[in-house]
Amino acid sequence: MGSGWRFAHSESAHSATAALGWKNQGMSAYATELPIRKELDAAHAAAMAEWSAPGTWWTGAQRLAIVDEVRRARDAEPLAPWQVPSSVERVVSDESELPSPVVEVVWRLTNHPGTLTADWYASILARGVDALAYVEVVSIVAQVNCVDRFADALGLERMAVPEAQDGEPSGEVPADAEVRLHWVPTRDIGGPNVWLALSGVPDELAARSRLSATQYVDGAAVFTDVVSDRFSLQRVQMELVAARTSKLNECFY
Amino acid sequence: MLLGLSGLHREGEVTLDAVNGSTGGDGGVMHGRLLVRLVEAMWEGDPGLLTAVCDDLLAAAGADVLVDAVAVSANFHMMTRVADGTGTPLDPGTDEASEGFRHQIGVNDLVSRRHVPSGGRE
Repeated sequence: MGSGWRFAHSESAHSATAALGWKNQGMSAYATELPIRKELDAAHAAAMAEWSAPGTWWTGAQRLAIVDEVRRARDAEPLAPWQVPSSVERVVSDESELPSPVVEVVWRLTNHPGTLTADWYASILARGVDALAYVEVVSIVAQVNCVDRFADALGLERMAVPEAQDGEPSGEVPADAEVRLHWVPTRDIGGPNVWLALSGVPDELAARSRLSATQYVDGAAVFTDVVSDRFSLQRVQMELVAARTSKLNECFY
Repeated sequence: MLLGLSGLHREGEVTLDAVNGSTGGDGGVMHGRLLVRLVEAMWEGDPGLLTAVCDDLLAAAGADVLVDAVAVSANFHMMTRVADGTGTPLDPGTDEASEGFRHQIGVNDLVSRRHVPSGGRE
């Protein structure tokens, strides 16, 4: 998926919507006449700002390197799931801020998420990646896939990567983080398993939740209110889109 | 499972057919076939396909629906990666409730199939 098609698609989408006369007002993550809700636009802009700041386990520069690597993985010619990107000439930058196993995580999770196994995860840890640092990588990769796929589908320019913010990762480990039902350490805070998945890195759980609240359903309402329509969609329409997307990603959960 | 539950509250029968692809009709969901075509075009990343289905959905349902449907699909590109990147097992309640239709939508053989064992830890 290269930049060429995005530009061509962008022109088409713009011409179709311009004829209908929509306008967004004020500061935007996206320059478009499509009716993107202000809170959604703001959430994407905030996500990019957060990616550029020091996290719990990675510096701002490293977090932005993850963003860049996701984009490289998505835009490259497809690799088979078992192909390690660093083994393919000119696929991975020699100047990457990221350790080789992290680059492998980014590519595999971006392009073949349904192929991951517990053994593969164990092999990543065996190469020196801390389990909670891995969780932060998963979170950023997942968020970038969300934000960029939104832009790509609507023919919008992906948000530009800003300068990294200075500072060191906090290294904060929640006292109750331990391996329970997931491969990764989680906290004992209750809720569906997928909500707990990032709980070992609380800032990442919060960041993921903010995106979901603006693009799908907010928090507990996912399960407690399956009736109410949201935004311009009926709930049943949202669930059909969700189910088909999950099936294409070969996600059992 | 949430598709089935949310469908219970609408007039007409909502089926799981469209989860398996846009050739499965609309599944009893308004604009269902177009929404599934949109999701498939996002997955394929084919520019011609995306342009065509975006134009079709714009004409049929409007720009708000197009933007919001893309946002929902993008959200689930995120959630699937969170689940599969962390080895998230199916919740016990969902596990039991979904047993009947997992075969119907063809997910039982996925590599990403994980359950919470009866003893607790996987």
